[in-house]
Amino acid sequence: MTRKAVLLGGAALITAMLPAAMAGAQTADVIHWWTSGGESRAIGVFADAFEDAGGTWVDSAMVGGQAARASAMTRIAGGEPPTAMQWNIGVAVQQLAEEGLLRPLNDLAEAGGWTDNLPPLIVENATHDGNFYAVPVNIHADNWMWYSTAIFDEIGAEPPATWDDFFAVADQIQAAGYTPLALGGQPWQESLMFRTIIIAEGGRDFYRSVFVDHDAEAAGGPEMVQAFEVFGQLREYVDEGSPGRLWNEATMMVANNEAAIQIMGDWAKGEFNAAGLVAGEDYGCHMAPGTRDAYVLVVDVFAFPVLDDEDATAAQTMLAEIMMDPATQVEFNRHKGALPARLDADAGAIDACAAIGEQIVNDADAQLPNMALAFSNDVEGQITDLVTEYWNDPGMSAEEAAERFSDIVANADS
Amino acid sequence: MIHALKRNLTSKAVLTPTIVAMTVCFYGCMAWTIYVSFTRSGMLPNYDLVGLAQYDRLWSAERWHVSFSNMFIFGVLFITGALALGTFLAVLIDTKVRMEGAFRTIFLYPLSMSFIVTGLAWRWFLEPTEGLQSFVRSLGWESFEFRWLVDPDMAIYTIVIAAIWQGSGLIMAIMLAGLRSIDRDVWKATKMDGIPTWRAYVSVILPQLRPLVITCVVLLAITVVKSFDLVVALTNGGPGFSSDLPAKFVVDAAFERANIGQASAAAVMMLMAVIAALAPYFYLVRKRS
Repeated sequence: MTRKAVLLGGAALITAMLPAAMAGAQTADVIHWWTSGGESRAIGVFADAFEDAGGTWVDSAMVGGQAARASAMTRIAGGEPPTAMQWNIGVAVQQLAEEGLLRPLNDLAEAGGWTDNLPPLIVENATHDGNFYAVPVNIHADNWMWYSTAIFDEIGAEPPATWDDFFAVADQIQAAGYTPLALGGQPWQESLMFRTIIIAEGGRDFYRSVFVDHDAEAAGGPEMVQAFEVFGQLREYVDEGSPGRLWNEATMMVANNEAAIQIMGDWAKGEFNAAGLVAGEDYGCHMAPGTRDAYVLVVDVFAFPVLDDEDATAAQTMLAEIMMDPATQVEFNRHKGALPARLDADAGAIDACAAIGEQIVNDADAQLPNMALAFSNDVEGQITDLVTEYWNDPGMSAEEAAERFSDIVANADS
Repeated sequence: MIHALKRNLTSKAVLTPTIVAMTVCFYGCMAWTIYVSFTRSGMLPNYDLVGLAQYDRLWSAERWHVSFSNMFIFGVLFITGALALGTFLAVLIDTKVRMEGAFRTIFLYPLSMSFIVTGLAWRWFLEPTEGLQSFVRSLGWESFEFRWLVDPDMAIYTIVIAAIWQGSGLIMAIMLAGLRSIDRDVWKATKMDGIPTWRAYVSVILPQLRPLVITCVVLLAITVVKSFDLVVALTNGGPGFSSDLPAKFVVDAAFERANIGQASAAAVMMLMAVIAALAPYFYLVRKRS
C-alpha cells in the first residue's frame, strides 16, 4: 500500500467513526462497585432502564468500594470525570461538594419532589448549603443478622435477640458441627460487627453520643469497654478460614447451612436472592442481637461530577431521573436487598425482611447514622484499624481499646 | 560551544525526552510528595504547611510500625531466600543434569505470572479450610496444622514464601548465565588440584560472579519496595493489618482514607528507607571507580 492510500484509509476510518461518536451523546459512564451476583443484577435494572430510554450505558465496575472511589477520584483529578459515580452518603460527599467537584441537582430535585419523599436524615446529608449533590437510590442498614433456619430448627432454639442469647446457644451450635458466627475477617467487616455491638451494649443514646456528638469521654466509658469485651468473646465462635474472607462468601456459609448467623448489612439479602432462597423460609433475618430498635442507615448514592460537555450533562440528567423513579427504585432494591430511598415507593412489596426493615426505619428515633455519616474517611480508617487490631490481638485489653477509641474521637474534629 | 553541542547530536536528541521525563515525572513528583508531606492535605492537596505533624501522627500509628517493620522482615528474607534458592537451582542445572531445558522452564515459569496471580494461587493453597491443611487432613493426618495465612504472627512469611517462589527463577536464569560464562580452564584447574566440586563452586566459581549477585540484589530490592499487588492478592494486609506493607499503607491512606498528607509522609519514609538500603551499594560502586 502506498503512503497516500494509508492516509486515505485512515481518513475514511475516522469519518466512519464520527457518527458513532455522535450517537454516543447520551452515554453514561458509571463507576460503581456492585460486582457480586445480587448487586450486578441490581445495577442492571438502572442500565436497562437507561438503554430503554435511548442511552448507552458504559459500565465501569470496580471490585471493592475502595478501588471504585480511588478510580473516580483519579479520573476527576485527571480531568476525565465519569458521568456518575457511586458513593456512600456522608461526610465524603459533603467534602466533594465543598470542593466544587459535584453538579448541583436542585432543578431536578424540585421537579421530582425529592425533599418531600425522602427521609429527613437523607435530605440533610445529600445536600450541602441547600443544594442537592447526590441521588439516593436505597436505604441499607448495617445492623442486620442473617440466620440459617435449618440450624436453629435442628438445635431447637430461637435466633438470638441479644448477645446473651447468642452465647447461650453458641456452644450447642458448635457441638452440632456448625460454625456459630460466619465472619469475613476483613477490617471493615469486623468494624461493622463491632458497631452493632456498641448499640447492643450501650443503647441508641450512647451510640449517638459517640457517633453524632463525638463525645470522647463517652467513647472511652464503661459501655465501650463492655462492647469490646463482648466483641472479644466472639473470637472463639468464628472458624479459622475467616481471615480475608469476602462478605458474600460468609453469607454463603449461612445460605448453605454451614454457619448459624452472620452480622452484615442487608446487601447480604441480594446474595440469598441470587442463590434462589426465600426470605423467612430458607433463611431468616432480623436486626442484629440487641439492636431491634435501631436502623443504622447506609445509603448508596450516585454523585454527578461537574462536566463541561453539554451532551454528557444531558446524560446525567436522564440518569438521575431514572434513578429517582419510584418504580425503578423498587425493582432495583428487589435485587439489591435494600429499601427504596423514596418513601412513596412500596417497600413492603419486596419481601419479609423488607417488611421488618420498613417497620423499624419509619420510627425516626431508630434512625442512626452510619460510620460514613458520622466521621470522615480518615477517622473511620483509624477506628477500623483499632477494631481490627483488637480483634486479631487477644492480648489487648478492652480497657486499652476503649481508651484508644476515645483518643481517636477526641482528635476527630481537630 | 556550537561544536560541543553538535557532538553526538543524535544520541543527545534521542536521550532528551527520557531526561525530561525523568526530571519531571520522577524527581518532580518526588519533590512534590516531600512538600505535600509537610502540609495538611486531605482528600485533595492543600498547601498550608503544618511542620512535622504528619510524621508525628504516622509514627504514633501502630499500623505504620507493623507495615514498616514488615518491609524489613520481607526484604531480608525474600532477598536472601530468592538469592540462595536461585543460585542453588542454577548450580544444580549447571552440573549438566538430564532434561536441563525442562527444568529450566519449570523453574523459570513462575516468573511469567503476575504477582496478582501468584498471590491468588498461594492464597488458595494456604487457606486452611480449603487448601493444603484440609487436603493433608483428608488424607488421614487429622492433626496436621498449617495455618500461617490466618495467623497474625506468621502471615507475613506466607508473602515471603510466595515471593521467593515467584522470584527465584529469575535469579536462577541470571546466575546460570554467569556460571556458563566461566572459563573451562578454571574448571580443569580445580579438577587437576583435586578440589571437590562443591568446594570449587563456593570458593572459586561463585566469588567470580559477584557483579551478577549485586545485580540480582538490586532487582530483588526493587521488588521489595514496590510489592503491593502480592500483598493485596495474598492476604490483603490481614489478618487485621499484620501483613501490611508500606506500599499498601500509602495507597490506603491516599485513596480509601482521603488523606494525601499521611500518604505522602509514609511515601517519604519509604524513600528514606530505600536510600538507606542502597547507600552501601553506591558507596561501593564509587569506591571502586
